[in-house]
Amino acid sequence: MSEKRPIKFRILEFFLDGKAYWNYEIVSKIQEEYGMKSSYGRDSINFDIIELASGGMLKDLEQKVDESGIYKKGFLLHRYKITDFGITRASDACLRGL
Amino acid sequence: MDLKTLKKQESKRKISKGYMWALFCAIFWGIWYLPGTVVWVLNPFDEMYATIAEVSGDGMSLVVTAVLITAFNALTVMLALMLWNGVLGKYGELGRTLKEFHPCSKWFFLASIFGGPMAILGSFIAMGFIGGAFAAVAGLLYPVIGSILAYYWYGEKISKRAVIGIGIIVLGGISIYGGGLLTELSSGNVPWIGYLGGLMAAAGWGIEGAIAGKGLDIAEPDAGLTLRFLGENIIWWIIIVPILAILGFPMYSFAFQVFEPLTMLILVFAGLTFGFCYVTWYKSFPLIGVGRGQGIGNLYGFCAVIFIFLFFGDIPDWTIIVGGLLCITGSFIMFTEDSSALETLRGE
Repeated sequence: MSEKRPIKFRILEFFLDGKAYWNYEIVSKIQEEYGMKSSYGRDSINFDIIELASGGMLKDLEQKVDESGIYKKGFLLHRYKITDFGITRASDACLRGL
Repeated sequence: MDLKTLKKQESKRKISKGYMWALFCAIFWGIWYLPGTVVWVLNPFDEMYATIAEVSGDGMSLVVTAVLITAFNALTVMLALMLWNGVLGKYGELGRTLKEFHPCSKWFFLASIFGGPMAILGSFIAMGFIGGAFAAVAGLLYPVIGSILAYYWYGEKISKRAVIGIGIIVLGGISIYGGGLLTELSSGNVPWIGYLGGLMAAAGWGIEGAIAGKGLDIAEPDAGLTLRFLGENIIWWIIIVPILAILGFPMYSFAFQVFEPLTMLILVFAGLTFGFCYVTWYKSFPLIGVGRGQGIGNLYGFCAVIFIFLFFGDIPDWTIIVGGLLCITGSFIMFTEDSSALETLRGE
């Protein structure tokens, strides 16, 4: 992939393999790819994930408390999986031209 | 803190953030009617109106002048948004989203057609022909159109409580709208073009919200809405203004006269308030849904009436006060919705 795509596209792409991922896994990957290493960048990517979940494209499977501070100490970590609706929207958007 | 409490806290935070954005939208949107009303009596727009009215009649002159005002509104909104995206460091995302025309940005351009030439132009027409308070409340029906479209088109859930809230807001709108109309009907002098403008505002914003929701699924709101205004600027400055100029209207000669300090100030004020009303409007949708975002944003009608009263001293009719109270009641019914029902907004 030569050119970067909008961040939400890229997030959906990660989920298209059908596996469930923790938010910190996705956030750190995107941070690296898009050079958004700051905590502002981290929160902004996480907010994109939250928006995708409220839009019904990701399903929040389970949560745990971030004890070790891998993402944000004392906050909730979420594990998401793509939904059927998410697959449809992602296929419209992400797979075209790849 | 245990998992359950944290979960509850987080969900509450998300939903209250969504409602907070929507409430800010109502305040900015309400303030926008101040510069929107004032701009009509400023140079060059008042002269433009008089000049064109002599040749083409009042109605035509009003619409053409409203086009130029709306075009400048779109331009200053765009400037405000570019500044906003700069502050957020989102130029990169903006470029990436723009390039994805087929899956994504086409929705924002489509939204701009309904938002700009329909809703905003309609509002300016209503402001110029009838007045700011009317223009503000005339658009109050838009959440109904937005919610119904979102429900049928992409299956957004609307709870019974939200339906009741929206219903009460609409009753409030009808009360504010109907009061003035009845008086004018009895005096036999109804400014129909202004009322048409009000209807354009309601239908345009409702359709825009539902279309924009489709694009917002997969885009960041800040980038999305800047593209929506890029679309509107293209429509005005590259299509409609040149066409009107070719038809013989003095668009450019008046457009170059806006560089008067007071006119510029008012236009920039309009751009800032409207720009941020959109920023907050779009930000609320993914968190609380199009229907609710629009419902709470609807409090703008009441905010506008209050601001117009404070700044211009126009005392509203009792029908406007009753309507405003209904709007607040309806919005609070939606506001106090049980948060667990909002965890996922769409059916799977």
